[in-house]
Amino acid sequence: MKVLVPVKRVVDYSVRVRVKADGSGIDLNGVKMSMNPFDEIALEEAIRLREKGQVDDVTALSIGPRTVQDTLRAALAMGADKAVHIELPADTPIDSLAVAKLLDAIVREDGYSLVLLGKQAIDTDLGGTGPMLAGLLRWPQASFASELTLIDTHLRVVTETDSGLRTLELPLPAVVSADLRLNTPRYASLPNIMKARSRPITVRTPAELGVDVTPRLRQRAVSPPPARAKTAIRVESAADLVRSLRAEGALK
Amino acid sequence: MYLTELHEQVRDLARQFSDEVIRPAAEALDHDERFPSEIYDEMAKLGLFGIGVPEALGGPGFDSLTYALVMEELSRGYASVADQCGLVELIATLLVRHGTKEQQALLGDILGMRTKVAYCITEPEAGSDVNGIRTTAERDGTGWVLNGGKIWIHNAPVADLGFVLARTDKSAGHRGMSIFVVDLHAAGVERGPKEHKMGQRASQVGALNFTDVRLPATARLGEEGRGFHMMMSVLDKGRVGIAALAVGIAQAGLEAALDYAGTRKQFDRTIGEFQGVQFLLADMAKDIEAARLLVHSAASHIDRGLDATKACSMAKCFAADIAVARTADAVQVFGGSGYIRGFEVERLYRDAKICQIYEGTNQIQRVIIARELMKKGARG
Ligand SMILES: Cc1cc2nc3c(=O)[nH]c(=O)nc-3n(C[C@H](O)[C@H](O)[C@H](O)COP(=O)(O)OP(=O)(O)OC[C@H]3O[C@@H](n4cnc5c(N)ncnc54)[C@H](O)[C@@H]3O)c2cc1C
Repeated sequence: MKVLVPVKRVVDYSVRVRVKADGSGIDLNGVKMSMNPFDEIALEEAIRLREKGQVDDVTALSIGPRTVQDTLRAALAMGADKAVHIELPADTPIDSLAVAKLLDAIVREDGYSLVLLGKQAIDTDLGGTGPMLAGLLRWPQASFASELTLIDTHLRVVTETDSGLRTLELPLPAVVSADLRLNTPRYASLPNIMKARSRPITVRTPAELGVDVTPRLRQRAVSPPPARAKTAIRVESAADLVRSLRAEGALK
Repeated sequence: MYLTELHEQVRDLARQFSDEVIRPAAEALDHDERFPSEIYDEMAKLGLFGIGVPEALGGPGFDSLTYALVMEELSRGYASVADQCGLVELIATLLVRHGTKEQQALLGDILGMRTKVAYCITEPEAGSDVNGIRTTAERDGTGWVLNGGKIWIHNAPVADLGFVLARTDKSAGHRGMSIFVVDLHAAGVERGPKEHKMGQRASQVGALNFTDVRLPATARLGEEGRGFHMMMSVLDKGRVGIAALAVGIAQAGLEAALDYAGTRKQFDRTIGEFQGVQFLLADMAKDIEAARLLVHSAASHIDRGLDATKACSMAKCFAADIAVARTADAVQVFGGSGYIRGFEVERLYRDAKICQIYEGTNQIQRVIIARELMKKGARG
């Protein structure tokens, strides 16, 4: 059984991003990039399934310019068996639907039984790729997984909802998106980081896959959130808190 | 900059490990003077020992710059942990360069921390002047008999294997020393008690005494009479490691001081708003960055196969000096709290001092820098 884990290269979570002066986007110049943390969790889960002997092959896939190969190498160092790069020219915008279509094409071509992905990417926070992919494939899906068990040919997935936990059973093939509490990803060891440098990466293009990636969404402008007027103040008691909220007009 | 994504990937791994595992444990380890084998086991699994050992010999095969990046990050968590990494790197480098196939087979257990090592040079009469060693190895049939004593040896109380510098020819000076791989559980090996130190207190340091310890012929590392040169040949890397370790201590001090300056209030404002405190922080940051650049430059001298002697001595000397001076500043930023046990900067100040002493004192580093200047001129 083969598992596909799409991994996105995003601005590292620790970076304080800045909007470009002309408002056309985020300034990525010299900014540290990493694997989307939720994708890392999805990858960890796939590797654990393989280590348990329930999965034969874990493929990591990334879409973007050549630099995403560094993210794929990080995935190989963590333990992915194979890496696929769908190459786009630098600075090509791509939206969730186009990503889902590319994944759909790859899944149909290479025959995966499970797609494990992050619940969202921390750069755009859209969370659309998983559901769209499930729609295109007409596969069952479970979003925001916090527990995943593979039993023969079906999955038991515990997902997180606003009102609590929900347990789903779904037949394979399926699409599952990983939430924060699914696992804690391992560190890649130094020997594995080194070995990953010389592992092959399969390079594909949208044209080969017959997918038109022209975006249907256009980003008009990006602006930073308004600066917070006041810094926080510390109050000594609940009574003080109520008094300050009244003074601010937040309480009547 | 000049760091590749591969360098950054390994540095970030070490950074994360340091923040999550090492730094939270440091205070208790300092207090208890305990050897943190659980941390070393985890580091071994991550391949953080023997960073430069080639893949063919079971290591990850990274360059010296990667090693320096890792040392700084580990030390930012706790210098004693970094020093263990430095010790293994030194021994591993000796084995890679000079070991026989059989001796190199020891690397697996050494990098896996199943065999703990000690590097045994210093004696009561031989500190800076290594030529003063009195430990002897005399031929005995096909093998050797070891007699003498070593002091202040890192890992001596816990080590399994000693790499011991001993005299094999009393009349030949520097050319009369050889290195032996000694089983420290063998008959005739006696360990002194663990020393109680000012800083880096989780590092177990003590004496070793050898009385008629029988060594097989295969115990000698490299050629007879080349011990001093072999020891010197790994010093460059050792110094880069200690220099990076010193930078890591200073960086931890800067981080703590910056945090504190932003939260501690006096005269109705945070102390970080006072220019007097800001200047302390600015001096810390600039000296740390200067030291770091010297370390990276020295490491890339080694990696490019250039003569690295002066670069490594400059890095070690400068980094150790600023580590002491700038952790003292970190204590200053903390005021009275900085002098109290339990505040990180108090420990950092104590941990920094030894950097000016071991791996060649800073006076000896200046002697080397000056000698290189005299030999090769102002730009040499
Ligand atoms: C915590 C710790 C761990 C250690 N770990 C190890 C270890 O694992 N293995 C090991 O072999 N050793 C180890 N040592 C020993 C260490 O390397 C020596 O302490 C160091 O080399 C200095 O030697 P010394 O203490 O005899 O000082 P000395 O050489 O006696 O120096 C005393 C002072 O004189 C100065 N001085 C000496 N010669 C000159 C000169 N020519 N010009 C100017 N000044 C000079 C020195 O700089 C110093 O200030 C360790 C020491 C400590 C404290």
